Amino acid sequence: MIRVQNVSKWFGDVVAVSDVSFEVGPGVTALLGPNGAGKSTMLRMLCGLTAPSQGTVEVLGGDPRRDLELSRRISIVPQQEALFDGLTAYQFVHLAAVLSQVADPDAATRATLGLVELDPDDPKPVGSFSRGMRQRAKIAQALVDHPEVIVLDEPLTGLDPRQRLHLISLFQRLGELGRCVLVSSHVLDEVERFGSRVLVMAQGRLAAEGDYRAIRDLMDDRPHRIRVRSDDPRRLASGLLGADGVVGVRLDGDDTTIVDTRDAPTLRRTVAVVARDHAIRLHEVAPLDDDLESVFRYLVDGR
Amino acid sequence: MSATVAHAPTRWPLYRLMLRTLVTRGRLVALLALGAVGIAVGTALGSSVRGPALIDGVGQVEGHLVAGARLVNSFGLSLLVPVVALVLASAALGDPDEDGTLVYLWLRPVPRHRIVAAAAAASFTVAWPLVVVPLALTAIAVQGGSDLVVGTVASATVGLIAYTGIFTALGLVAKRALVWGLLYIFVWEGFVANAADSAARLAVRTYTRSILEGITGVPLRGAEISSPARWLVPVVVGAVALAFASWRLARRDIA
Repeated sequence: MIRVQNVSKWFGDVVAVSDVSFEVGPGVTALLGPNGAGKSTMLRMLCGLTAPSQGTVEVLGGDPRRDLELSRRISIVPQQEALFDGLTAYQFVHLAAVLSQVADPDAATRATLGLVELDPDDPKPVGSFSRGMRQRAKIAQALVDHPEVIVLDEPLTGLDPRQRLHLISLFQRLGELGRCVLVSSHVLDEVERFGSRVLVMAQGRLAAEGDYRAIRDLMDDRPHRIRVRSDDPRRLASGLLGADGVVGVRLDGDDTTIVDTRDAPTLRRTVAVVARDHAIRLHEVAPLDDDLESVFRYLVDGR
Repeated sequence: MSATVAHAPTRWPLYRLMLRTLVTRGRLVALLALGAVGIAVGTALGSSVRGPALIDGVGQVEGHLVAGARLVNSFGLSLLVPVVALVLASAALGDPDEDGTLVYLWLRPVPRHRIVAAAAAASFTVAWPLVVVPLALTAIAVQGGSDLVVGTVASATVGLIAYTGIFTALGLVAKRALVWGLLYIFVWEGFVANAADSAARLAVRTYTRSILEGITGVPLRGAEISSPARWLVPVVVGAVALAFASWRLARRDIA
């Protein structure tokens, strides 16, 4: 349903997306990556909101940038929070239904607001809504005309856990109905709940793609860097050299040992044992690269 | 695929949406206050004018008519009409573009020219009473007679058509449309076009002033466009600006 071939996008000197190719079919697909990875730019290109600088984007067999009729079959939940603040949720979603020429806009609006658990008769304007309610109103306007391709840019932001679960199951139901649902996220655990195919973007490039579990294993297999602060870093370093899973040890300053390992949990146990055996007082054992940024960097650069 | 009906009306919902987003209390109060200034000056002028005015090459002209035409020209056509049009028309597409809500219209199967037309029509709808009513009341307060009222309404309406088109397009292409619009109004139309005859033809004010002069018979400086150009050119300029805005909306990036 979506075919992206060698797509690059740059804004002046800044490369937002670099030579990305992938295909997405029916079902839920997660687009995972840290902030600034190029996810939003990619999603905007899929909806025709901006044209690729290079390469081709094909959605439902057409060019979303040029084919106006395609917009009847593609919907987006954009990341920005702004809505038409003076409208009620009903008016906001009803407007989308009318502009998309839905046969019975009133019925479609009421049904879709029910799907996202918003009251169609709520007289409050969306401008007074909480972040989560605004997010749900945005999702409702995207679903009201039953699009075949639904692109959601960080749709779970601002939602409470119950609403997250509710919407994730809604996305899964849409996927099971044969819709192409592409959901972006920068939260690894969020993607796990989609239980879906994953595309990983980092630094504007497609770092990995495939089943979530395979990607997760790949991420867990990467070397970890641990910082250990103690009162005798030299003896600790010599004790750790040759230990299971340790691939490198170096000293940093007066009290710090930096250890590279392929097995962080085992290393933590080993550090404790070495410290006990050599009567070393430990001050801190902390991962240096446990953030998502470094995970993605590893997938892109192998370091 | 969704169930759809062909040719469902999308003009009115768009128009109503644009009206709602344009009408804010702050805007209305500020623009009404600007119009009230004209009425106050017109009232003061009406009671202070004594007897006919002698104008070179024309002879004696009714004093209230001369004073009124000059006031409408200098305040109404040079300030109120373009500023009200700028504030409203530049916001009609500029505001949704800036805050990101334009995406909710752009990603619907609606022809781009319909979005632009709705924005311009809504802007004109709000601007017309804010401009024409105070100016007509000003003309009445000066006691300049029916020709002055008709000339005021006609010239202000034609000017509003041109400015609405120009500033709707400006709101879509310029980041700081209000600043650029004010520069156009005060620097180009107010200064450059006054100083050079060739530049005057590129100022909307020259045409509206000519309409006012043609109807009232009061000679106004720089009003040198004859009929029908004085009527047609501003309308064509407004239409071309809207066509450009539609073309631009279809091709530019949407935030």
